[in-house]
Amino acid sequence: MPANTRDILRRIKSVNNTKKITKAMEMVAASKMRRAVNMVLATRPYANLSWNTVLHLSQIKGTEFHPLLKKKDKYNKILLVLISSNRGLCGGYNVQIVNKATKSIKKHNDGIKKTEIITMGKRGAEMIVRQGYNVVSDFEKPDLATGIHEVRDLSNLVINGFLKEKYDKVMVAYTDFVSSIKQVPRVKQLLPIDLASDDEYLGIVGKDERVGLTKEFIKEKAEKYLKKEKHSFEYLFEPNDKEVLNQMIPRLIEVQLYQALLEANASEHSARMLSMRNATDAAGEMIEDLTLYYNKVRQASVTQEISEISAGAMAMNK
Amino acid sequence: MSKKINFEIVTPERTILKDKVESITIPTQKGQITVLSGHIPLIAILAPGEIIVKNEGKDKVYMAVSGGFVEVLVNKVVILADTAERAEEIDESRAQEAKERAEKLKEEKRGDAREFAALSAKIEKEMARLKVARRRRKI
Repeated sequence: MPANTRDILRRIKSVNNTKKITKAMEMVAASKMRRAVNMVLATRPYANLSWNTVLHLSQIKGTEFHPLLKKKDKYNKILLVLISSNRGLCGGYNVQIVNKATKSIKKHNDGIKKTEIITMGKRGAEMIVRQGYNVVSDFEKPDLATGIHEVRDLSNLVINGFLKEKYDKVMVAYTDFVSSIKQVPRVKQLLPIDLASDDEYLGIVGKDERVGLTKEFIKEKAEKYLKKEKHSFEYLFEPNDKEVLNQMIPRLIEVQLYQALLEANASEHSARMLSMRNATDAAGEMIEDLTLYYNKVRQASVTQEISEISAGAMAMNK
Repeated sequence: MSKKINFEIVTPERTILKDKVESITIPTQKGQITVLSGHIPLIAILAPGEIIVKNEGKDKVYMAVSGGFVEVLVNKVVILADTAERAEEIDESRAQEAKERAEKLKEEKRGDAREFAALSAKIEKEMARLKVARRRRKI
């Protein structure tokens, strides 16, 4: 703590300036968050319904040979799409998602060189490169997504890589937006589309921790809408099953990636808003403490001066 | 009274309509179909066109759709549309303009097969929007 009053005043001023900045950043993050959250909530029904439809389709006899649904015995070459933020100052947001991603890579195979990573967002890219992972390409992440066309290139790259058997498995790591104070980092398997994949990799977007919920959902759907009328797994396809799957799955992958991006954006802005609010609160507290300290020091010097004067006066009177 | 179908139409941007209805007419690639209660499970690719939703005692709802998928389950119909609009949301003059612009471009881009196909698809979508918008005016 500085000893003289001038230094303390300077300190108070500087903390006050910082507080103003963090307050402004909080406001900016809050307005971005509002927009991002609106977008996320608007696309969720589509993403979830289409994901369910395709998961359901993947259960039907005769579709298991579609190249995008075909399961492999061994997963050697894995592609992971990592969505993080472009800027820092958002608490543990980036650290959490990178940790989650690396953990899941290690679970799959111990050779980190075998896993190829596509990054979206500068922060995560920097962190994952520093850890020695193999980053094959980097996409620019828009701060606020404007439409599904922003992930078109990425989804084409993913689908083509999978179809050419460059990858056995494609996963996406993003932060799921549960509420403005809770965001969960999540790794989800995109390809092959597989209902029976490990629980950890499942989960309908935006349904917090109830992982494995998709399975129940599908079962429920099958019972409620199909088995009851003895139509279990008997679908009519128009024009034919192959054509439907060919059109539907790429579209679905695109939507899933878009949804992941939107979830990540909403999470990022919420995380930033929260950490900025904490910073503003901390600055306020610090100003209070400093002001109290300043008053004490000032009072001490006043008391001292008075006692000196009165001592001087008494000496004169003697 | 016949059984009602749980009907839902969603686009990547929003949910357009979610209701219990009696019948739905949908444009698929192989032609228009009408789904009533008790239809067998079906998955089809949509063509640009109009969706008509009928409900007893209520006005029919007209919607323009540009493409997507429809999943029919027992007493449940889900439409995953690329874009969809209700008739009252369509601005007819703007749809007309967009269609004319696309037609003009199409004439210019005759050599480019990919552009040409994309523009043809666009014209088809705008036609569907126009059709739906005009139908509303007639009522």
